[in-house]
Amino acid sequence: MLLFAACASPYKHLHFHEDKSQTALQYKPVYEKQVYRCVVDGKILFKKFHLSGILFFKTMEDKSTRVIFQNEMGFTYFDFKWNGQDSFKVIQIIDQMNKPALVKTLEKDLSIFLLKDLNKPTEKIAVNDGDTFYRFTLSKGYVYYIAHSGKLETIDNTGKGGKVTTITLTGKDTPKGLPDSALFTHHKAHFTIQIKKIQSHVDE
Amino acid sequence: MCELTSCSTFSLMNKFFLTLLLSISSFVLYAQPKGYQPVNNLSAFQQSLTKSNAAVQTIMSDFVQTKNLSLLADKIKSKGKFYFKKENKVRIEYTTPYTYLLVMNGGQLMVKDEEKTSKINTRSSKTMQSVNRIIIDCMQGTVFHNTDFKVAAYENSQSYLLSLEPATDAMRKMFKKIDVYMNKKDFDVHKLTMTEQGGDFTDMDFINTQHNVALNENLFKIK
Repeated sequence: MLLFAACASPYKHLHFHEDKSQTALQYKPVYEKQVYRCVVDGKILFKKFHLSGILFFKTMEDKSTRVIFQNEMGFTYFDFKWNGQDSFKVIQIIDQMNKPALVKTLEKDLSIFLLKDLNKPTEKIAVNDGDTFYRFTLSKGYVYYIAHSGKLETIDNTGKGGKVTTITLTGKDTPKGLPDSALFTHHKAHFTIQIKKIQSHVDE
Repeated sequence: MCELTSCSTFSLMNKFFLTLLLSISSFVLYAQPKGYQPVNNLSAFQQSLTKSNAAVQTIMSDFVQTKNLSLLADKIKSKGKFYFKKENKVRIEYTTPYTYLLVMNGGQLMVKDEEKTSKINTRSSKTMQSVNRIIIDCMQGTVFHNTDFKVAAYENSQSYLLSLEPATDAMRKMFKKIDVYMNKKDFDVHKLTMTEQGGDFTDMDFINTQHNVALNENLFKIK
C-alpha cells in the first residue's frame, strides 16, 4: 500500500506554488530543423519489437512544426504536424502504426518534448535540493519539467498510477536548444524511444 | 514469387507481353517522362537486357541515397556500399552518417542497426517478399517478370528508364512508382527513384560500379 502510494505520487512531497517570475517555457526549443537517429524498442505481450530510422524536426515558415519519422531507406513511417497554435494533425502514417492509442502516445511524447500545447495558467513551481520542478496540468495527469542548475534534464508525465513517461535529456546546453540526445521511457506501455542528433547529412 | 522458368512458356509470355504492352500504351498517354521516348523495339530491348544481365554474376557499387521531402524542400543524404550476387543475395551497407546494414539471402533478411540485429524470414510475409524481389529485379534487370508492377520502358540517347507502377494494393501503399535508370551502353543501373504516394521520393545513385568481382560469401551471411 505504501509502495503504491509512493509510486502514485512521485512528487507528492514537493510544495508547488504559483510563481509568475519564472516558467518552464523558457526551455521551449527554437530551431529551424534538426535530424535525429531514432531507435524504438519495446515489448507487446511477450513479443519484442525494434524499429530504427531518422526523426526529422522542422519549423516551417508559417510557424507550424513537422516531425517526420522514416526508415534508413527513406520510407516514411509517420509525418505529424502542429500548426502555429499547437493544434495537432497526422499528415501521413503507415497502416501498421495507425492505431489511435499509439498515435495519441506519440503526439503526447513529442508535444511535451517540444513544450507544445501546455496550459500556462496551470503552471506551478517547486524547488528541492537545487532542482526546479515546473508542473503543468494535462487533460489527464501532469507533466513535470525538472531543471538542475538551470538546465532542463528530465520531463516526467504522470497519471493516477504514477509515472507514465519519463524523457531524459542530454546535452540541452542552451535553454532554447534541442538536446543532443533524449531517451523516452514509457513505464506502463513498456517501450523506449532513443534519439541522437545527426549533424552532417542535411543538404538544402 | 514468380519463378523465371514458370514464366517462360510461350503462351504465358504472349499473354504477359500483351498485357504489358497494353499497360505501357495506357501509361504512356498519361505519364511519359520528360526527356524520354517509349522504347521503340521492346522485344529487342528485353533480349539485350537479358543477355547483358546473364553475364553479370556480381555487382559491387558505392551509393548515395537522397531522400527528398518535397513539401519541406529538404534533403536527407546517406552513403554506403551495395553488393549483389546471383541469384538472390543483396547487401546494402549504410556507412554515413549512420551505420545500417541490410542483407538479403534467399528467403532470409537481416537488418542490423547501431544497436541490434534482427532477422526476418521473408517467406512468411508477402510484402517483404515483394520488397526483397523488387530490389533484386531492379539490379538484375528482371523487372518485366515482376507481377507486382506494371512496367513501362523509355529511352533517350544516354539511358533507358524502366518506370514501375504498383499493380497490387500492398505495393501501392508503399510506392507511387519506382523509376530504374540504366546506362544505355552496358545496362548498368545507375539510379533508382522510389516515389511515395505523398510525393516524397528517394534517389539512390550508384557510382563506381564493378561487375563480376569476387564477393566473399560472408558478406551475405545471415548471422
